[in-house]
Amino acid sequence: MKRLIITLTVLGLISALVLSSVYQWTKPKIDQHEREKQKKAIMTVLQESDDYNEVKKEGKVFFEGNRLGEIAYEISGAGYSGQIKMMIGFIPAEDKITAIQILNHSETPGLGANIETNNFRSNFKDKKFGEYQVVKRKVENPSRSLDVEAISGATISSKSVTRLVEKAVEDVQKYYGGEG
Amino acid sequence: MQIIKDFTNGLWRENPIFKLVIGMCPTLAVTNTAVNGLAMGLATSFVLLASEIVISIIKKLIPNNVRIPSYILIIATFVTFVDYFLKAFLPGIAASLSLFVPLIVVNCLILGRQEAFASQNPVHRSIADALGMGIGFTWALVLLSIVRELLGYGSIFGFQVFQLVQNGGWYQQMIIMILPAGAFISLGILIGIMNYITRRKGVN
Repeated sequence: MKRLIITLTVLGLISALVLSSVYQWTKPKIDQHEREKQKKAIMTVLQESDDYNEVKKEGKVFFEGNRLGEIAYEISGAGYSGQIKMMIGFIPAEDKITAIQILNHSETPGLGANIETNNFRSNFKDKKFGEYQVVKRKVENPSRSLDVEAISGATISSKSVTRLVEKAVEDVQKYYGGEG
Repeated sequence: MQIIKDFTNGLWRENPIFKLVIGMCPTLAVTNTAVNGLAMGLATSFVLLASEIVISIIKKLIPNNVRIPSYILIIATFVTFVDYFLKAFLPGIAASLSLFVPLIVVNCLILGRQEAFASQNPVHRSIADALGMGIGFTWALVLLSIVRELLGYGSIFGFQVFQLVQNGGWYQQMIIMILPAGAFISLGILIGIMNYITRRKGVN
């Protein structure tokens, strides 16, 4: 009995020791990747700015670009399977979205995963704020209408992204004005 | 020689996927692209090798009653190591394998080899066994994922072989092949082919 306890305790201790040193060693690198990924997404959705500031407003984090009053905002919510996390760029003064970028998702490969593609994301390029309509037909000029062209076979994923964008628009309008 | 026999055992005669049919969780879940299959195979092989070495060294110190928890503890340590390592140095692969890396802990291939081999054999034979099983697992995963990626995305290792219809080509991608159901279908067909080959070889 005593031997059993000693064996497991010693093994547990050694394991904890090894893992905590590995953690110490890899943590800074993992954090750095996270920051780089976020930074890259921010720079992609901010069209004109070449730098940004992190601003906290009531616990919400906004990234203010240095040109045209551009703002990047991160939002996440439920998709078809699991969370969708994305970065969205805005110009509140012109009431429009500049671009969106998907950071993380676990949608169905080949169908819902197409929310990552440029084809789908271009739905939100320079889009005016408003009540968006997810439609199952070709949208000729997405920046001029409030229609969002659904990915065929992935209507729920398309709608989830659209709802998240709308939620982000609300948050941005609340803190940065705009009509609404 | 014994050690060569131990090594080649996992490659074909007792191939974990096609013959023993163990370790099915990663096999079915992550083999939708060849890169994922290869990465999962290598990560599993590393854990298998490291834990077989450690366990065959300390096997005499572990009382029989607590051997399974001890093995799991050792395996989990190496798996967590791989998880951190991938996240820090290969973030792209870590993101596409996501939660299947921690799940290597419960891959029955690894625990199975500790129980069946490392706990009863000396270190050099355990190394040979782990390498053979690891390579056997990896080639099987890569083969399966090449089939699935080719039919599902029209590419191999990310390199476009068939031009897809949506990009102006001729190939209509088979979405089912990159979904879990496609893994069952292609694995079943591959095992069928393997069995056919084995049987013919046996007859002749």
